[in-house]
Amino acid sequence: MATVAGRHQQGLVARGRRVLGNAQRAKYIFLLLLAAMFVANLYLMLIWAPTERVMGDVQRIFYIHVPPLWVSFIAFFLTFGSSIAYLRTRDRSWDNRAFAAAEVGLAFMTVGIIAGAIWGKPVWGTWWTWDAKLTTTFVLWVTYVGYMMVRAYAPVRAQGARWSAVIGIIGFINVPIVYMAAVWWRGLHPDQVTGAFASGGGLEPDMRTAFYFSVLTFVLLFAYLLYHRIGVRRTEDEIGSLHYALHEGRS
Amino acid sequence: MEDSNLGFLFAGFAVVWVGLFAYIIYVSRREQALRREVADLRQELAEREERGGR
Repeated sequence: MATVAGRHQQGLVARGRRVLGNAQRAKYIFLLLLAAMFVANLYLMLIWAPTERVMGDVQRIFYIHVPPLWVSFIAFFLTFGSSIAYLRTRDRSWDNRAFAAAEVGLAFMTVGIIAGAIWGKPVWGTWWTWDAKLTTTFVLWVTYVGYMMVRAYAPVRAQGARWSAVIGIIGFINVPIVYMAAVWWRGLHPDQVTGAFASGGGLEPDMRTAFYFSVLTFVLLFAYLLYHRIGVRRTEDEIGSLHYALHEGRS
Repeated sequence: MEDSNLGFLFAGFAVVWVGLFAYIIYVSRREQALRREVADLRQELAEREERGGR
């Protein structure tokens, strides 16, 4: 009987190793795909896409300015949905997803805003202006910085999770406002050049291809980072439980 | 296009890719450090349970 149980256990361990091995292989394949897409993206943005007539080559910043900002909108939508789920269920896994999406989204948003400022200097003659689009974007950025600060400084984890969930829900209201700001309030920032609310002739077909390829690359990079950030968050929880178990053992 | 604008183009790309790469490094380093901590804590807990069982 003991031999049968032992064999069963060995079989489970072997199967577990195989699953982990497959997961590791899938991770490497995904990373290789991402690296290939990164190189192809650079080629499409810097060489393949035609040079814009008025702004010249500096317009190519467009391909790395808009995609990270779109990705941050997806991230904040995930935070919004996960925050609602957390407040309804009080399940920590939803809180972990909300936090991870907010942090990764904030990273993408930060680089997108800086790239936009670098593009603004040669084109507008200034790094920053309090135009409606830029102001609403700044408010959104500050909202998610606040979200992170609430997590960091809350006296109890559950309290921080509750407060930040509320911020994650209310803060998301600003996302459609940011998206539509240039359409609703005319300012220095140009209207959308692609999508349902695009004005004028939109993007030239080759530019559109380069742009959407860049969006896809950033979305896949986001998915990879989100997956890992959720894993890190889960491990942090596990450490908390282990510390608790050790502390309990001492008392 | 003015030559000086190529500097802006380079700076824009550098900020985005270096920024995101730094974030990837931060996440993977934190992941490794936490895994080590989990292994240490598990070992400590197992040793304690073993001592308690005797």
